[in-house]
Amino acid sequence: MTCDESKIFLSEYWSQTLGETQELALEGHLAMCAACRAESERLGTLWRGLSLLPAEEPSANLRTRFYETLGAYRHGLEASSKGGSWIQKLAAFWPKQPAFQMGLSFALLVIGVSIGYGMRSADKIDRKDAASELATLRGEVSGMRQMVALSLMQQQSASERLRGVSFAYRAESSDTEVLAALLRSINTDPNINVRVQAVDALHTFGANPVTRNAVMQSIPRQSSPMVQVALIDLLVDLKEKEAVPELRKLTTDSTANESVRQRAQWALERLQ
Amino acid sequence: MAAVGAGEVSKLAVLFERHHRSLFRYFVSMNRNRELSEDLVQDVFFRMLRYRGSYDPEQSFTAWMYQIARNASIDNAQKRRAEVIGIDEIGERQTEPVSTAPGPEESAASNQNLALLKRALERLPQDKRELLVLARFQGMKYEEIATVLSCEVGTVKVRVYRAMRALEQTYFALEKEIAS
Repeated sequence: MTCDESKIFLSEYWSQTLGETQELALEGHLAMCAACRAESERLGTLWRGLSLLPAEEPSANLRTRFYETLGAYRHGLEASSKGGSWIQKLAAFWPKQPAFQMGLSFALLVIGVSIGYGMRSADKIDRKDAASELATLRGEVSGMRQMVALSLMQQQSASERLRGVSFAYRAESSDTEVLAALLRSINTDPNINVRVQAVDALHTFGANPVTRNAVMQSIPRQSSPMVQVALIDLLVDLKEKEAVPELRKLTTDSTANESVRQRAQWALERLQ
Repeated sequence: MAAVGAGEVSKLAVLFERHHRSLFRYFVSMNRNRELSEDLVQDVFFRMLRYRGSYDPEQSFTAWMYQIARNASIDNAQKRRAEVIGIDEIGERQTEPVSTAPGPEESAASNQNLALLKRALERLPQDKRELLVLARFQGMKYEEIATVLSCEVGTVKVRVYRAMRALEQTYFALEKEIAS
């Protein structure tokens, strides 16, 4: 066996999985070649060391999420095997990929506008009817945007949920479903980025008293100072004077993060 | 997996209990991001469901699973690259990288060596690190690794040797850095 040939068998030799003939040949070579023997000993030590490296363990959250999703998948399978309602059958045509969802939304918009325009010229529909059709189309587009946002915000991947939140920016301020999804994200999403982004998207819903109350209630529940600061900033942007008692409490809360306390003090100065 | 392929979806839970830790370790060794790794583990099991028709019971299940894991990882990397810069920047700022600094409990000499080895492994180029993770952490046979990486078994053996050489060089470079 040559030096080059011996290298190929080294890792199996360290793992003790080499065949008997090859092992004898390799040991014969190592006995005669000091350089290969030294290299085998050095690398072999590292090879064994690799198996001693402590294994990273996933959080318990992974198991919970897996069983929840598996349950939902089975439920979906059972529902589809029973035939499902006409709404479910219709929903099955809705694509899973966000790119296709956006493409389909755009195509539907173009088709809708074309039909509307064609009918208008063909039948000489008056301006009032055209305006009403346009309003209907706007409503449909808004509905689709809502579907995309809600669907993305339920994804496993944090980056997909971030996309969902960015869709929520364009939702109508009266869309309570999107508002509820954003509030859920702020209070329960495990990813800080998603929570901060969701706080930012709440600006659209600032006029709604539900938003203001939910923001105030969420501050003490948050574990991340970054999210707490984002929520305080939102209250200042919304000029929410009713938040003053809550903020004052926060400035004296010794368990709160120092930067959160400072931000609460800053907010108090602006709101009072 | 054969039962899952035959429509017994609940059997996926058995596979999950058996393999989720090793898959998590694979991903976390590759991307050093615990949260993303958990997302990818979840993704792998639901890709198994989606592509269960492509599983061949004659082939190694482990190799098939790691092929899916690799694809999930590649797809995710592409998607992250395509994301808007703003979101990407936030993401990178907020990810929780696996700590590379040795902790206070790692004061014993042997533990220091292991901490150094861990850092050396993390500094390896991705292809070399992946090979060592599959061979050493996942305990995969070279035939299975060859299937996952779409290459010959002989190539895997040569590449494992090269990866070990690279690991040794990185390890000693780090040791020098610490000593100086």
